[in-house]
Amino acid sequence: MINFSSLHNSLWPLFRGATVSLQITALALIIGMIGGTFLALVFLYGNKFARTLGHIYVTIVRGTPMLVQVVTLYYILPSFGIMLSAFWAAVIAIGFNSIAYVSQIVRAGIQAVGRGQIEAARTLGFSHRQIIRYIILPQAFRAIFPALGNEWVTLIKDSSLASVIGVSELTHQGAIIMSRTYDAVTTYAGVALIYLIMTSLFTVIIYVLEQKLAYAKN
Amino acid sequence: MLKIKNLSKKVRNKSIIHDFNLQVEHGEIAILLGSSGVGKSTLLRILNNLEIIDHGFVELDGLVLDLEQVNQSHTVGMVFQHFNLFEHLTVLQNITLALEKVVGQTSTQAQAIAHELLQRYGLSDKAHALPAQLSGGQKQRLAIARTLALKPKVMCMDEPTSALDPLLTTYVANNIKELAQQGYVVLVATHDISLLEKLPCTIHLMQNGTIIESATSQEFFEHQTRYPALMAFVTGQS
Repeated sequence: MINFSSLHNSLWPLFRGATVSLQITALALIIGMIGGTFLALVFLYGNKFARTLGHIYVTIVRGTPMLVQVVTLYYILPSFGIMLSAFWAAVIAIGFNSIAYVSQIVRAGIQAVGRGQIEAARTLGFSHRQIIRYIILPQAFRAIFPALGNEWVTLIKDSSLASVIGVSELTHQGAIIMSRTYDAVTTYAGVALIYLIMTSLFTVIIYVLEQKLAYAKN
Repeated sequence: MLKIKNLSKKVRNKSIIHDFNLQVEHGEIAILLGSSGVGKSTLLRILNNLEIIDHGFVELDGLVLDLEQVNQSHTVGMVFQHFNLFEHLTVLQNITLALEKVVGQTSTQAQAIAHELLQRYGLSDKAHALPAQLSGGQKQRLAIARTLALKPKVMCMDEPTSALDPLLTTYVANNIKELAQQGYVVLVATHDISLLEKLPCTIHLMQNGTIIESATSQEFFEHQTRYPALMAFVTGQS
């Protein structure tokens, strides 16, 4: 059964772990959004070579477990002379994984913007770049915001994979506490509860933003 | 004067516009009439650099128009059949965006022009509404205002009255008339014959990508038998 006094004693380290989890999530989210948007533009407007590279990237990322990606990146990078801390290796692995998924979401959003608006913008003299910036992307992001929100919530949970390379995030802190208390049920119930609070808060924030971004439709 | 000379356009070896010739004076309304698929919209799209021609050229006031630069020079404007308003922007922003980002005007200058146009087209109270909150007629007025903000010399309107009720059609006809009175070269592609009675215009009946018969609206209604092809189209026999 859950031992609440034991849980109370573990709260501070779990809280510190949750902070690290949120840091990983936020940084991976930034990488995923910037890289994913860029990759979506490559898919839609890039040349054949760039598109092929993009497809290979997405196929590899989506076709292999993220756990394997995190571990592989952590152990492969030093052999190329790139020394990264476990924290940054996790951020990059999770962020690069997110790029593949975000690119598909953004691509669908861009394709959903009416061709007519793009033609209207052309007749008004907008350049291709201006059309993407002022007409396509703002509308695409509004349309895909719910899907992106799901991806961001998933990132919070994915950040737990950083524990396998020793990053002191929430799951890792839980493992440390459990090795000390031998109380797996209480510890992981606490860990799960904190993840649930974080994902729920994130979901609420996304919902509020979604409502603000939504524009009237007939 | 707008002169279109020997314009041709093929798509997948199919001739869409074939040896097309037309002259339209400033202040004149030229109606391109014809069934769907005869090339009316394609012609307007060519003038707006949305389609590339295979042959021919276009002159405006004696100078050959570089169709590839027509959007940047804002010589020709287009009001689309479905208006194609920017759905994420307010009515005001729909007008100011191009003025600021394309023409390079300040926000204050752009807003002054936009407010003047909105007042002229009776949309001042809708300045901060989104296009989805406008009626069909209001959307069209906004589409016209957005195009006029860039001061084109030629206004192209693609099926401006499709799916509008008779009252709104009259209203749109008045808008088109007003544009001509302001000195614009106005080209209207339509298959709505009710517009012919409402506008003092030159009618050009198109078939297979070229004009097969032309007449002023006055001539046509006074001497219908002289224009058999137009007559057949108007009476629904072609």
